[in-house]
Amino acid sequence: MIKGSISNRIRILRFHSGEMSQAELGRRIGVTRQTIAAIEAGKYSPSLEAAFRIAHVFSVPLDDVFQWDVNGTR
Amino acid sequence: MPYREKTAWLSLLAMAVTFGPYFTMIAVRALPSEPMPTLRQLGLFGVTAIVQMLILGVGHLYLRRGSAQEARMPLDERDQTIMRRSVSWAYYVLIAGMILVGCVMPFNSSGWSIINAALFMIIAAEVVHYGVVVFSYRRQA
Repeated sequence: MIKGSISNRIRILRFHSGEMSQAELGRRIGVTRQTIAAIEAGKYSPSLEAAFRIAHVFSVPLDDVFQWDVNGTR
Repeated sequence: MPYREKTAWLSLLAMAVTFGPYFTMIAVRALPSEPMPTLRQLGLFGVTAIVQMLILGVGHLYLRRGSAQEARMPLDERDQTIMRRSVSWAYYVLIAGMILVGCVMPFNSSGWSIINAALFMIIAAEVVHYGVVVFSYRRQA
């Protein structure tokens, strides 16, 4: 199996969206603030649907939010 | 701390302060030569169960007052993942316990020993269930 790790730019995207709070992002995609915090910290990988919702909130393509580093380890 | 983690802590606390003393008393008193009479056993279990329900009832009311909005929210996908993981771990504990109680103990024990062993394994499975919930929320996974 190919090893890799997922990283994300949610913190930066929130900053560029007028310092949107984790709670606000969570409310808009239907998860709790704690889940957004866990996603941001790379501790939890969201479902594909939630990932698309996050990208939709920031009006960016999915790979602008999440990146997969093929050599990275968490 | 997330509301669901608080409720898991509450359940662990309720079990510790009710079934902890219950099983301690059983272990101390229910020696083979001195079995507890059925009525006392039933009374002890009844009191334990009622106290646990009271602690859980009051605790849930208190927690809901403090996090009313979060308590009303349905489980999100991470909550559901944590719930599935914890139930899965608890299932293994419960099934191992039930094999022990149902398939092994009848050959060398009887009566309240088997009942209390079954109760113990149910409580152990619950502890694992809520323990995994707390652990998962603590490490944010």
